[in-house]
Amino acid sequence: MKIRSPKDFWAGLFFVTIALGFIGLSYQYGMGNMHRMGPALFPTLVGVLLAGLGLLIALRAFAVDGQPVPPFHARPIIISLVAISLFGLALAHGGLIAAVAVLVIISAAASRESKVLETVALIAALIAFSVAVFVWLLGLPIPLWPEA
Amino acid sequence: METLGNLAFGLGVALTWQNLIYCFVGCFLGTLVGVLPGIGPVATVAMLLPFTFNLGPAPALIMLAGIYYGAQYGGSTTAILVNIPGESSSVVTTLDGHQMARNGRAGPALGIAAIGSFIAGCIATLVVAYFAPPLAEVALKFGPAEYFSLMVFGLIAAVVLARGSVLKAIAMVCFGILLGLVGTDVNSGTIRFGFGAPELTDGIGFVALAMAFFGITDVVANLEHTDKADVYRERIGSVLPSLHDLRTCFWSIARGTALGSILGILPGGGALLASFAAYMFEKKIAKPPRSFGEGDIRGVAAPESANNAGAQTSFIPMLTLGIPSNPTMALMIGALMIQGIAPGPQVMTERPELFWGLVASMWVGNLMLLVLNLPLIGLWVKLLAVPYRLLYPAIFVFCCIGVFTVDNKIFDIYVLAALSAVAYVLLKLDCEPAPLILGFILGPMMEEQMRRAMMINFGDVTIFLTRPLSAAFLIAAAILMLLIALPSLRAKREVALQE
Repeated sequence: MKIRSPKDFWAGLFFVTIALGFIGLSYQYGMGNMHRMGPALFPTLVGVLLAGLGLLIALRAFAVDGQPVPPFHARPIIISLVAISLFGLALAHGGLIAAVAVLVIISAAASRESKVLETVALIAALIAFSVAVFVWLLGLPIPLWPEA
Repeated sequence: METLGNLAFGLGVALTWQNLIYCFVGCFLGTLVGVLPGIGPVATVAMLLPFTFNLGPAPALIMLAGIYYGAQYGGSTTAILVNIPGESSSVVTTLDGHQMARNGRAGPALGIAAIGSFIAGCIATLVVAYFAPPLAEVALKFGPAEYFSLMVFGLIAAVVLARGSVLKAIAMVCFGILLGLVGTDVNSGTIRFGFGAPELTDGIGFVALAMAFFGITDVVANLEHTDKADVYRERIGSVLPSLHDLRTCFWSIARGTALGSILGILPGGGALLASFAAYMFEKKIAKPPRSFGEGDIRGVAAPESANNAGAQTSFIPMLTLGIPSNPTMALMIGALMIQGIAPGPQVMTERPELFWGLVASMWVGNLMLLVLNLPLIGLWVKLLAVPYRLLYPAIFVFCCIGVFTVDNKIFDIYVLAALSAVAYVLLKLDCEPAPLILGFILGPMMEEQMRRAMMINFGDVTIFLTRPLSAAFLIAAAILMLLIALPSLRAKREVALQE
């Protein structure tokens, strides 16, 4: 047996995993019956459907030719995820201004074309814009500085 | 006659100073962000959502609608000048539009796109005004069984009419439904799939989900491809098409509008399918046909009219049934729910100012776009010159702030990061995100309707097939599935969507 459509195979496997996870978690909630559907019933039904579909997609990958999975470029995705998470951390402890600075500095590293001076200017511009628009103009309750 | 009265009432709402300003700001911001290459309308609407939080429901909806068609129009500008479709519905516009730009006719191409969109928008507004109320009346009579089946049909139709593998798309719908179920179950109060995190009791943030799948992953995908864009750098010149152009395009605009209005109502239709279909149709019947693909103005006029008409009529199922036909409409429903309004047929009777104000503002918005775009083309062109390395950190900033401001929860930002990772993997595996978003919005509603149907009918599942209307929806869904499974039709669909 050879996997002829790797993209589909892995997608199928992904769906089966997700489905089993949800079905497994549903187990702890009440199933009820068809008349009085408990909190576990609907997710289990959808989960079973998803598992079936995932299995079908994965098995079909042995029968039908398809594309290989394109390469994962680690740099952009990982740096982006780190930048976003640190934005959250910085916003919680340091306020909006620090958070925007952190997010822009780190995310700039995701592209090889970024230049230092440009990034500094961009940080200044984005801080000015977000403070002016979101906090002053729209009045959204976002702390600007670390809370004492 | 009643409709005209209602429209006048709506105009009264839309023409208040306050709403006019929000409509203008929406159109302006929508175009501004839509012009930027690599940001589609879904990401645009999601990113600009926080701007509407502090407004009332009517101004918020009017502004969001303005953002939506502004983004549509901005996308066409990018398509014509840079040959990058700002969004999927302007893919076909790149074919002839960019060729026109290369032949030195960028001005008329942009002009006809604006004029075609405006005409289509005016007619589609009337379509919405006339078709939505009767549909809502029918929908008010639906019981839970009918609603459940209608949602099944809507989801299946959306999947069949979209691109890519149908099996994967249905799997994505299921995944979306499951994600939508995270949080407190309204019936039993049980917190489901919360992993003990108190922040998850309200479920996964809708804005975070939309941003992850349509904002962050798009940026990451763009960062992976570093191919240079072919930017048009010459002077645009006059944007007014000649009289000859207008005569050539008249029927193309009319046909595009008609096709777009019809396809927009279908689930999954909306602007994308409308623009493809209109282009194909024009190409088939055009005399002489040879110039398509080489800068034929009809190849810009028809799809641009169609996508605007489709964008507008896709509001019909959203407003009357509370069912989104595409991801942007799913966002609109999300925005309504944030405003504390349960979408559905009752909106029209209970909040007439909301419905008719929105319909009238569509027309006002289209007029504004026309007025806004023709003179401001120069500004939009300058925006195109902004390099991506400066653009994407700004997108990140707006996404993150936007996600945070929905509920002022830091946790939602971590949810955004986690969902972005999932979205990235799914992108690599060629799984379309649109069905997932639709499933996410409809999942909880489907559970609720099914639960009610079962409650009334003592757990008898056959109710879905014994109630005639419900059975009709399910049979229609089954027929669609069968049709797509037939090899000959599948090949045709692939060809149609490829081109």
